[in-house]
Amino acid sequence: MTVVFEPKPSRPAPSTVVGPAAWLRQNLFKDIPNTLMTILGLYIAVTVVGWVLNWAVFNAVWEAENRRACLDAVGRSGACWPGVAEWLPNMIYGLYPKDQVWRINLGFLALIVWMVPLWLGGVKSKVAIGLSAVMLYPFLASYFFLGGDKGLVWSALIALGLSGLVWAWATALCERATGLSVGEWLGLKVAGATDDLKQKRVRQGAMAALFLAGLGLVSLWSLPEVRTQYWGGLFLTLVISGIGITFSLPAGILLALGRRSKMPVISMLSTLFIELFRSVPLITILFMFNTMLPLFLPEGSSVNQLVRAIVAVCLFAAAYMAEVIRGGLQAIPKGQYEAAASLGLGYWQTTTQVVMPQALKIMIPTIVGNFIGLFKDTTLVSIIGLFDLMNMARAVGEDSDWLGLFIEPFFVVSLIYFAFCFAMSSYSMGLERKLSAGRDR
Amino acid sequence: MSRVEGARKMIEITGLNKWFGPFHVLKDVNLTVRDREIYVVCGPSGSGKSTLIRCINQLEYHQEGDIVVDGVEVEKGGKNQSLIRRNIGMLFQSFNLFPHLTVLENCTLTPMLGLQTPRKEAEETAMRHLERVGIADQARKYPLQLSGGQQQRVAIARALCTRPKIMLFDEPTSALDPEMIKEVLDVMVELAEDGMTMICVTHEMGFARQVADKVVFMDGGEIVESDTPKAFFSNPRYDRTQAFLSHIL
Ligand SMILES: Nc1ncnc2c1ncn2[C@@H]1O[C@H](COP(=O)(O)OP(=O)(O)OP(=O)(O)O)[C@@H](O)[C@H]1O
Ligand SMILES: [Mg+2]
Repeated sequence: MTVVFEPKPSRPAPSTVVGPAAWLRQNLFKDIPNTLMTILGLYIAVTVVGWVLNWAVFNAVWEAENRRACLDAVGRSGACWPGVAEWLPNMIYGLYPKDQVWRINLGFLALIVWMVPLWLGGVKSKVAIGLSAVMLYPFLASYFFLGGDKGLVWSALIALGLSGLVWAWATALCERATGLSVGEWLGLKVAGATDDLKQKRVRQGAMAALFLAGLGLVSLWSLPEVRTQYWGGLFLTLVISGIGITFSLPAGILLALGRRSKMPVISMLSTLFIELFRSVPLITILFMFNTMLPLFLPEGSSVNQLVRAIVAVCLFAAAYMAEVIRGGLQAIPKGQYEAAASLGLGYWQTTTQVVMPQALKIMIPTIVGNFIGLFKDTTLVSIIGLFDLMNMARAVGEDSDWLGLFIEPFFVVSLIYFAFCFAMSSYSMGLERKLSAGRDR
Repeated sequence: MSRVEGARKMIEITGLNKWFGPFHVLKDVNLTVRDREIYVVCGPSGSGKSTLIRCINQLEYHQEGDIVVDGVEVEKGGKNQSLIRRNIGMLFQSFNLFPHLTVLENCTLTPMLGLQTPRKEAEETAMRHLERVGIADQARKYPLQLSGGQQQRVAIARALCTRPKIMLFDEPTSALDPEMIKEVLDVMVELAEDGMTMICVTHEMGFARQVADKVVFMDGGEIVESDTPKAFFSNPRYDRTQAFLSHIL
């Protein structure tokens, strides 16, 4: 006779291993050394926070004419904020004309607006929208920030940026409301077309119309030129690091692929480039580009100093990014390439659809870490005389009214850097969690 | 008499030699597989079984000899490999599904990308094949959420979506638990009965007995013996084959 096997029911865990009390006992007060460390840690934390709060808030001076007045009031026991307040616009916008500052604000607002669909639910083409922002936004921003005479080509690029923004939002709204892409929806509503080819035509038509409308708008639109000498502060820091970050990822991907290429010439050139730029400090590269680049250019032509700095930062960042990406590529098992090959996929299909998505995903923390490093490294451009956020902060203490006021502006600058870097790293952690949700066992 | 006597030659290998550096892996291999024929390849580890079938779809390049796949000569150095691979599906011991794509996307990737099939059609075909291997209800999951046996069946469906004329199997069940081996073998038997041309590297001798037209025994890079399952298992000619069989049976 057979016996039926009946599994025992599971019981809840005893309260000694779950719940807040158990957590406290196990993690903070497990034994005597553990308890001592907890108390010591708490003591240090409370003391440090107390000092900082006293200095920055309770003992601080909030209104004064100059540094002398601050020192007379509280000496060095409290911060002197009026100096920072007076210089804050410069620390953020540099010497950008006051009546034009709205352009910077609007420019960055446009970027945020472009990115909003990435956080909306029900939007399918997030990758496309993100890519459009990365590739087209710079054209739009360039005109906001720089202004002045725009030739035909630049006008077209700006129009591309403008229509890209509109298209991104149209896509997002359409997908949210109907679950169809703009092309499919328009094709269905306007032309009653259900087959791919007609929908594609309608989509292309709509895009072209949008672009032409954008071009018309751009030709009516004119902003006075603000030369880059007046750029500075946080704005300049964001421009340099933004361009560096945007450039370094695609360039790094190409260099990494080049280095792994089976064609010896390509692989050698990529390796040479990567190793060259990785073995020289950024400061040196900045100096070299600043002083030597003009020597190589034909007589009479000059390259803007900001452009020189940006080129240097971009090349440096690309070399580092290439090694990060290569690390990710090396983590992809050979079986993935073989499976793709045996299915008949070619090199680029395998790279873009199979290998790169996986490599980039594993490397997100490192890639974002690199971005953060680059963002902080841009402080070095102060060496060649650009007034980025860091250099602007130093300028405060050289103002005759606020002579010697260094700690306070640097404190604020640290907070600003921290806010940006922390935001980037939290975003990357969130992204990592979302991408791995449900995909790993 | 073989059931495929006189059928079209799907794979014809003559005088195949391959070296890994100085190491001579395949020595004068000759093999002809006709349409709808099932070959099972067995042999000790390191005897060159994987290398042999990987040469057929050019995952490895050979140095000497000719390989003709469905009338097309395989050029040395992989010059016409994409043409050759289009007709051949391959299964691996470690499944090699794309972990970042869902089961369905794994199946539709090549038809949509390589063969320009519209999405809807590709998805319908994929669902049909997934149904055939019994995974249709898991189509929206990611590969790592499935068991090994299920993953291997997805891999079979993925290969079928490219409409291959020949399927190569490289020990498709040797990474699986016994309970899962059967579910994969069942699918393979069904494929064989539907008339697929197959070369299977496997040590599942039950499978060989059930469907194989020929069993090939390899050792040291050579084909030692090649015979019908009945003859192969009842009276192998070579002592090497007898020793091997006594180990695994
Ligand atoms: N890429 C390579 N480079 C050098 N030697 C290799 C390479 N691949 C395989 N070999 C060698 O070639 C021989 C045959 O390998 P192969 O993988 O074809 O054997 P196999 O019969 O499939 O064995 P197994 O049952 O272990 O899979 C082995 O000795 C192996 O070490
Ligand atoms: Mg093998």
